[in-house]
Amino acid sequence: MQTTARTSRKYLATPIFSVLMGVVYLVALSVAGEPVYGVLALAVMVGFSGALLLARRRSETVKGLLDHRDERISAIDLRATAITALAMIVVILVAFVVQIARGQSGWPYSMLGFVGGVSYIAAVICLRIRG
Amino acid sequence: MRNDVRERRAAKGLSQADLAQRLDVSRQTINSIETDRYTPSLPLAIAIARFFGAGVEEIFHADHS
Repeated sequence: MQTTARTSRKYLATPIFSVLMGVVYLVALSVAGEPVYGVLALAVMVGFSGALLLARRRSETVKGLLDHRDERISAIDLRATAITALAMIVVILVAFVVQIARGQSGWPYSMLGFVGGVSYIAAVICLRIRG
Repeated sequence: MRNDVRERRAAKGLSQADLAQRLDVSRQTINSIETDRYTPSLPLAIAIARFFGAGVEEIFHADHS
């Protein structure tokens, strides 16, 4: 029973996070005076969460991505995340270079690059210590 | 890395889905292992070997050997 409960919580993590982000968007857009867009954003995120849960029933890949129980799909998830991060790094670097070439400060791309670099170094150190 | 998973599974009369369920992995993973497109982790390789009642080295074969 405990294992089942733990598994349930695990596969619900991404849908719940998506709904919570929808609520955050709703609050942020309401504060900005755009509550209608906020409700729309929340609806999109709730729809996305629902689509994920429905897809989990039909697709082994989606199920594996949500459950994190299948080592091969977890490895695919990890590599896909790394490729995504690489794409983001390229975009940030190009945007930063374009900005400074135009005589601008490079903000916020310089800060994004800084956070990315520090995160990478911290991750390498932590993972190395953990073995 | 070559392996005998497909032959051993067929000998037991199991489908890929049956074996996947027993090992708590996806059917796709079993298929990828059988077609040498995915090399399982050591814990999964041991689980597969134990399931078939054999040693890991009896099921998985390094290409250079």
